[in-house]
Amino acid sequence: MAASATPLTLLDDPQEWSAFSRPLAQQPGCWESSVVFEGMHCAACALTLEDALRQVPGVLSVQVSAASHRGRIVWSDQAVKPSGWMQAAQRAGYRAVPANDAFANERRRSETRQALWRLSVAGFCMMQVMMYAWPAYVAEPGDLAPDLAQLLRWASWVLSLPVLLFSCAPFFGNALRDLSQRRVSMDLPVALGMAITFGVSAIGTFEPAGIFGAEVYFDSFTMFVFFLLTGRWLELRLRDRTAGALEALMNRLPDSVARRGAQGEFERVAVRRLAPGDVIRVLPGEAFPADGVILEGRTLADEALLTGESRPLPRDAGSAVIAGSHNLSAAVLVRVERVGNDTRFAQIVALMESASASKPELAQLADRIARPFLLFVLVAAGVAGAYWWPHDPGHALMVAVAVLVVTCPCALSLATPAAMLASAGALARRGVLVRRLQALETLAAVDTVVFDKTGTLTRDASALGEVHTRRGVSREQALAMAAALAQHSLHPVSRALVAAWQGEAPRPDAWAAHAVQESAGQGLSGRLARTGKMAVGVPARLGSARFCGVDRPATDLLHACLSDDQGWLATFELGEDLRADAQATVAALLAQGVQVLLLSGDLPEAVDRVARQTGISQARGGCTPQEKLALLRGLQSQGRKVAMVGDGLNDGPVLAGAHVSFAFGPAVPLAQAQADFVVLGDRLGSVAQALLRARRTLAIVRQNLWWAAIYNAVCVPLAVLGWLPAWLAGLGMAFSSLLVVLNALRLSAAIQPVETV
Amino acid sequence: MEILFLLIPLSVMLVFFILGGLWWAIYRGQFEDIDAEGERILHQD
Repeated sequence: MAASATPLTLLDDPQEWSAFSRPLAQQPGCWESSVVFEGMHCAACALTLEDALRQVPGVLSVQVSAASHRGRIVWSDQAVKPSGWMQAAQRAGYRAVPANDAFANERRRSETRQALWRLSVAGFCMMQVMMYAWPAYVAEPGDLAPDLAQLLRWASWVLSLPVLLFSCAPFFGNALRDLSQRRVSMDLPVALGMAITFGVSAIGTFEPAGIFGAEVYFDSFTMFVFFLLTGRWLELRLRDRTAGALEALMNRLPDSVARRGAQGEFERVAVRRLAPGDVIRVLPGEAFPADGVILEGRTLADEALLTGESRPLPRDAGSAVIAGSHNLSAAVLVRVERVGNDTRFAQIVALMESASASKPELAQLADRIARPFLLFVLVAAGVAGAYWWPHDPGHALMVAVAVLVVTCPCALSLATPAAMLASAGALARRGVLVRRLQALETLAAVDTVVFDKTGTLTRDASALGEVHTRRGVSREQALAMAAALAQHSLHPVSRALVAAWQGEAPRPDAWAAHAVQESAGQGLSGRLARTGKMAVGVPARLGSARFCGVDRPATDLLHACLSDDQGWLATFELGEDLRADAQATVAALLAQGVQVLLLSGDLPEAVDRVARQTGISQARGGCTPQEKLALLRGLQSQGRKVAMVGDGLNDGPVLAGAHVSFAFGPAVPLAQAQADFVVLGDRLGSVAQALLRARRTLAIVRQNLWWAAIYNAVCVPLAVLGWLPAWLAGLGMAFSSLLVVLNALRLSAAIQPVETV
Repeated sequence: MEILFLLIPLSVMLVFFILGGLWWAIYRGQFEDIDAEGERILHQD
């Protein structure tokens, strides 16, 4: 105990916290930690852990996921230290390991090894015990000499012993722990079943004249232990793959990296010790450990997991690389710009972590059913045993064993989270992040999709076309003034103006804007002054004609107006290119029976044009965010389930008002995007794919729940009636859990992407 | 048939012997990262 207490108190050092926790912005002094729990076996464990942790003073909220064994704990650093709640988890019989910790991998490896080793012992002993049981099944009465039969029973006993003592140890350990804490979990009936079978058989071996007769069940015993362990083993492997995208993301960063020292020599340092400004060397095959800029060398980078872009991207000196992407072809020198929690990678991981710990409603229902169901099973086993006892005590106990072993609330409680995690993982690999698993359930029911235009159906990197200016103002000057304001905004039009200014007249010192305020979806207002002069500046507005208070320009292109205290100053026309897959995506959505709408704040003419090009029949331009929201509410009051697709920034309230929301666009700061789904790449087809996948996910969840219900409804009565031998019961239970997980795993397979025209 | 009285205890011992070999293989990491060995030929170095 002393040895394991030391590392726990080490975690109380606030410097260690950032490795597995992040401070909550809304509540100062509160941290959100992500941990992996060991020793969890089923949904009942998740409830117990949550209860145990909630009782620790200072722990504000706890969410534990039974499917991924991960938990999210919010705690206040004034009232408790990490070791406080970690010890609480230990007292409840589980071990909490900080996620992202280097130890976690090491420990998981030894956990897998031990699981495999237990399985092998059970497997080999089972095979040999089968051999010894064979003569007793086939021999005619009198063929088998009594002393030889006794020797075979002896040999079976010897080989069953390691199975009982070693392979079954986790079942017994968990059952004892649950008993000492007066609660029920899945392992209790199973452990009881094992102990009874082995006990009956051992008595049969050593006292053939006893009440149980000379009948032995070593073959049944080893067989169902083997099946159960196989089931658990495969579940463990599948769970690793199901949560695969999540794990792949979190384990993406290397542990160490070669950093250039003061004399130009390279030394390997832990990634955690990197600071902005450091120069590091990243070899081919390594992942970039931080966001940065390439100083020397040219290579190809694989950013598939972060942006959904599956092609390797060329990266030369001067181009930016992002943490978590892979360096594919050559060694490069990189200057570090952002590390740790500031990187986009860290934001993505934080999103995925909180999503995987969130519990969909269907899963909570299954968790609540699990406990009473287990109690019912124990009672049913007792009744069945008592009923058969007068007839034949040995047979009565084996009937009770079959009841105990065959029941499977695991299938019930795994049904929902396994499918949703598989789906979230598959979506993440294609550049769509799910913020709440519950959203998948809602998305499946969506029958109306509302698109925003700019930055969603069209590319946000719009090209600057003609610039109309007031007499006496040059194009360059107008652009420089507009860019000074636009730098304060992430709106696609602003970004396009800034990009155009940087491309055409890059004189960064000409104008400066201050006191800039953004009215979402309408424009920017602020004061413009020539830099270097101590001037208050002139008030200026950049945005829609209505926002700037000027007449509507005679153009139906996307545009922005600039005005100052003397009125209209310039109009910037922006060419819009439709996303390549916009038309195909709309067609795919319509084919799925979904109604598609286009709502935009832009000019009605421009909106109509885009609607015609993409095949959207209902479009409305010139909407303020309030009007958009009102339209959305109207649709919802008609009983429609509405999904909103926007750029996540300018239409925040509208996104929040929809049943399900997609934030779109590579430049969205993830922490700010208040959407249920965040699309990282720039393929619109992801929206249609996500909808398809959500529908398939819910179909599979329903299949799983039905399967679990039918399986238990059929098998428990069969076992009570004594028609189900113990080995078949073990096979049934392992098979049932596996079927649920395998069914969920079908969701990881690719869905045909929307064809790009 | 008498030979069975020798062979059965021998088979029990053989099982323990095989298990010993398996233990060695598992804890030497023979079953981890099975794909990597197959892919090794594709790597340059």
